[in-house]
Amino acid sequence: MTEKKSRGGRRSEQPPAAADSASDLKTQRAEFVHTFFKKGAEFTEELVKENERLRKNAGELEAENAKLRTQLAKDKAMRELLEKIDQLENEKQNLLSSMHEQEAVTNRFSNRFSEIEAELENFATLYVASYQLHSTLRLSTVLRHLKELLLQLVGARSLAFYVVDDAKRSLVAVATEGVDARNVGPVALTESGGASAQATSVSVGPSAASTIERVFLTGVAQVIEGPVAGSDPAIPAACVPMRIEDDIVGVIVVFELLAQKKEFVPVDFELFKLLAAHAATALVAAQLYAKAGSRLPSLESLKDATSPSESETER
Amino acid sequence: MSAEYSCLVVEDSPMMRQLLVLALSRVKNLRVTEADNGVDGLRKLAGGTFDIILTDINMPIMDGLKLVKRVRSDPAHKDTPIIVITTEGSSEDRQRALQLGANAYITKPIQAPQVIAKVKELLKIDA
Repeated sequence: MTEKKSRGGRRSEQPPAAADSASDLKTQRAEFVHTFFKKGAEFTEELVKENERLRKNAGELEAENAKLRTQLAKDKAMRELLEKIDQLENEKQNLLSSMHEQEAVTNRFSNRFSEIEAELENFATLYVASYQLHSTLRLSTVLRHLKELLLQLVGARSLAFYVVDDAKRSLVAVATEGVDARNVGPVALTESGGASAQATSVSVGPSAASTIERVFLTGVAQVIEGPVAGSDPAIPAACVPMRIEDDIVGVIVVFELLAQKKEFVPVDFELFKLLAAHAATALVAAQLYAKAGSRLPSLESLKDATSPSESETER
Repeated sequence: MSAEYSCLVVEDSPMMRQLLVLALSRVKNLRVTEADNGVDGLRKLAGGTFDIILTDINMPIMDGLKLVKRVRSDPAHKDTPIIVITTEGSSEDRQRALQLGANAYITKPIQAPQVIAKVKELLKIDA
């Protein structure tokens, strides 16, 4: 300031042209300064605006960044959850697979158990049948046991036991159940075997008589397999030959089954085999016992029967 | 092995009796006593304690229906479970037996698993 005053002091000492020039310069300077400050202010204003814009952008970017971070965190959590789900799914599959294996094992055991139960029941039935059949030598009791076997164990409703007569011309019913014995006449045996078989009875028609005759002549049992209800009612449900070794001595006939017995089950077929092999033996043994006056063979006769010489002779 | 339960089987047919006894032998801790008609059954009942009775209906001397009636009128056995064994054609007998106080029935031809299941059910024995 002091310096300016000293300069101004020097200017006042200058001539008028120089003074105008100085005035112009002063004006120019003032304008320049004015313009300079104005531009500076404008620039500053622009800078402030720019700064605000940048701040705003930065804020937006930060918000976006935070959003992205959140999204990323969510994605990560989602990925982890998906991995967990996969892991659990695998575990579930393993457990299911293991469970199926265990179920299969259990089913195998269960089926085996059922099979063994059924076998046991079959054995019990066959044991009882065999035991009862040979538990007596009284003819009436043997016949009663034979009937009971078919009624109680097989579930027969009506049945008859046919035995061939001495002349081998006909089969005669020696015992019946569920049908009137008077109506179960003899079944005539013919040379042709079956085709011309005749029955002189009301209950046993020609078809049944033919079947009974055929079974007797061929020695092959005829038992309806599958539902009995749908089969020909004229044909007996079962015809089983009675044998003593290779000789056929009669036929067991099951005409009908009880209503709740729909079909023969495996044990029935086994029972028929047992009856085919043992019924006649039991009947004949009982008959011989009755003829012998219900006397048991003596000890001596049993000894003779088992002596070596006897055995040799048999061979 | 001491028996926890006792069962009386009343059946005139030796074959059926044997089958029932064989079937019941598969029930653990069950002692079986046999009787061949209703009178014999009552005699056995008088001489012992039974947890369950299985009886046929058609029997000589005294049938199963009379036996059920007599058992139910006896204070000592009025609550003893009774299973009657019937044939399929005797639905009237079956109904009569149930009316007289029988708890259940089994139809012939009998099946061992059915007998075992019914006895276990009435004795409340777990499988």
